[in-house]
Amino acid sequence: MNIAARNVAGRPIDYDAKGLVERAHKALRAADRILAVAKTGVAAKIAAVNGDVDAVQHSAHGLAWCATTVEGLRQMVSWAEGLNAQAKFNDFEQLILVAAFAEYLAQLAGGIAMNQGEVVRPEALGISKADIRAFEDTAEVQELIATGSSDAVKARLAQLIAEQPNATTFGNAGLDEIHGELVETMRKFALAEVIPFAHEWHLKNEYIPLEVIQKLADLGVFGLSLPEEFGGVGLGKESMCVVSEELSRGYIGVGSLGTRSEIAGELILANGTEEQKARYLPKIASGEMLPTAVFTEPNTGSDLASLKTRAVREGDVYKITGQKTWITHPVRADIMTVLVRTNPAEKGHRGLSMLLAEKPRGSDEKPFPAEGMTGGEIHVLGYRGMKEYDISFDNFPVPAANLLGGVEGQGFKQLMNTFEGARIQTAARAVGVAQCAMDLALKYAMERQQFGKAIYSFPRVANKVVMMAVEVMIARQLTYFSARQKDLGKRCDLEAGMAKLLGARVAWSNADNALQIHGGNGFALEYPISRVLCDARILNIFEGAAEIQAQVVARRLLEAGN
Amino acid sequence: MKILVPVKRVVDAYVKIRVKPDGSGLELANVKMSINPFDEIAIEEAVRLKEKGLATEVVVVSVGPAKSQEALRSAMAIGGDRGILVETAETDVIEPLAVAKILKAIADIEKPALVLMGKQAIDDDCNQTGQMLAALLGWPQGTFASKIAIDGGVIHVTREVDGGLETVKLKTPAIVTTDLRLNEPRYPTLPNIMKAKKKPLEIKTAADYGVNLAPRLKVLKTTEPPVRKAGIKVGSVAELVAKLKTDAGVL
Repeated sequence: MNIAARNVAGRPIDYDAKGLVERAHKALRAADRILAVAKTGVAAKIAAVNGDVDAVQHSAHGLAWCATTVEGLRQMVSWAEGLNAQAKFNDFEQLILVAAFAEYLAQLAGGIAMNQGEVVRPEALGISKADIRAFEDTAEVQELIATGSSDAVKARLAQLIAEQPNATTFGNAGLDEIHGELVETMRKFALAEVIPFAHEWHLKNEYIPLEVIQKLADLGVFGLSLPEEFGGVGLGKESMCVVSEELSRGYIGVGSLGTRSEIAGELILANGTEEQKARYLPKIASGEMLPTAVFTEPNTGSDLASLKTRAVREGDVYKITGQKTWITHPVRADIMTVLVRTNPAEKGHRGLSMLLAEKPRGSDEKPFPAEGMTGGEIHVLGYRGMKEYDISFDNFPVPAANLLGGVEGQGFKQLMNTFEGARIQTAARAVGVAQCAMDLALKYAMERQQFGKAIYSFPRVANKVVMMAVEVMIARQLTYFSARQKDLGKRCDLEAGMAKLLGARVAWSNADNALQIHGGNGFALEYPISRVLCDARILNIFEGAAEIQAQVVARRLLEAGN
Repeated sequence: MKILVPVKRVVDAYVKIRVKPDGSGLELANVKMSINPFDEIAIEEAVRLKEKGLATEVVVVSVGPAKSQEALRSAMAIGGDRGILVETAETDVIEPLAVAKILKAIADIEKPALVLMGKQAIDDDCNQTGQMLAALLGWPQGTFASKIAIDGGVIHVTREVDGGLETVKLKTPAIVTTDLRLNEPRYPTLPNIMKAKKKPLEIKTAADYGVNLAPRLKVLKTTEPPVRKAGIKVGSVAELVAKLKTDAGVL
């Protein structure tokens, strides 16, 4: 089928792949103009309240979403161009591009859902009706919206998806050979070792078995981005992305095991003394030492710089006292990266330091068999498999030599430098969960018979799956782009933040719609989609809640000054 | 002991294959391809033999289009030491006899003590190449192996045959074709995937070995399996028996 059966005037046109990319380019330019207007508009709103961003949060965060929507489209164009250059921009990919543009261009004109209940309208961004009309009247915008939202496009996409229900990706993801191979390897691993068991781990609130962790270690997952001299594989963020995505598609807990090693590894690699690197990195890379990140406190979530946990130096030892919470996988961890206040005179981030604290492994009965450390499990909806804990430290000793980098007061800065990588990885996890939801939705919709046919043959069902595939591809391309920027040594905090923001929304909407497709069965705990819904929910909260994430993105957009 | 492992790039086992509308063959454009699963078992076994110190080198070879390099890289990620691609045109139809002749020529040059290969490829399910190669080389063969034990210059191959297991003793050099239960191939590790990219891979053509690829068989048509039809409900035993006699013709 030719995707552009007719244009808005009803005149048949023949988009070839190149013509489509050109149209998308022009539509993107129009979207960029809307974004520029929105920046000016929001900047004016902020100026009107004397620079108090919080007073106009809805508009400021709306700007972040507007920019994220445009950036998503930009990366889709770039993906399309890349494929087209290799003659791989085929029907499937072309239709995904058209559907993506139709939806996101229409959202730019009519309103972007920051979530189901909060839609940011152009007026909130200071975009005038005249600007919107000019945008909507742009020939390419008009044409892509009309074509891409047509029943014909969605029906054909639904068909292409159903033809290969076990596909690794729905539409070519545009990876090079080596990254494609990493994906295939991880997919194979997840299909055999993770997917058949994940739901049971979740339902029983069990740990991911140590044998699975050992297998991940043997594959090289924990040392993926560490240099070879420290026992790592020496791969970049793009590799980390595709591995995290595919493992999270199996089970978010498995995809997240790597996060801990990633954060600890990056912290130590970038900031550690030579002794610290030599002592810890090889063991983290081999999986011999499982790390956990100990940052959050009961009263400091997003406002990390104000944390209270104290570390007092007594001779050669720091003694940690304080409360930490939301610590993932601490019982089986061997080393904690603990963010503490070493200088009580400095109330802000300058008083913070990072300690590398070793601890013995515990069990459910005796979670923390160490002097000065106690804790209790936090029972959670989803994101299980590693278990969450509250932890209290009471004069818990850490050798002074384990102060990261050997200099006090650097903890916050050290941590912030890892956030780009952590955001990218979380975006990749979100893409994986979003894809998992789509896999489950598709499988169920093709199997479930009602009124004498598979429910997938009903447009409202198939269209949900189609939009899942389309949005997964947008979030994925934005994530890959951030990772590639990082691999090139370029600053990518903005794009990484956007990727995380979008990925989390897509994961949740995909899971929600996938559950809807399951009907009553989706509400039953025995169906895996019930778990995936719970797992998807965390993505909008951890590693920067959606609101903080939008705030950070908005600030960066406005400080860039254009 | 050098082991030669031939591998084939085939449509991935998870892909739902479709016949081209004109019945001329299968729809292969943009379809995911992988290493043939039986060949993967063969490479795994060869690598295990090497790890046990029973083999010195594992050479992987493929006959197929340029993209078959991917299958060779996958085989080297599992542990193959070097690869040989006998490159053919994308449109060439390659039959088992042609592959066997090329493998014979390579065996004459490489002089392996063992050729370890999948019993069949999951695309055409021919199950011929190993046997033909044994005949061309005049070497003993142990097909459908579910267990391999090497003792000096002798290979004990446990074969899965109808009705049970049969163990044969082969003198090297020999051909062994692998069955499903021989082993479970490992997942290539990330470092090994990277290392595989740097392992030597020679590109040859059939002409280099003096083999003519021209097919000897002609495919008349390819059709999808018939779609299973809905059953019917019968009212009584008598009706059932009657239908089995008349409609089904099984009584």
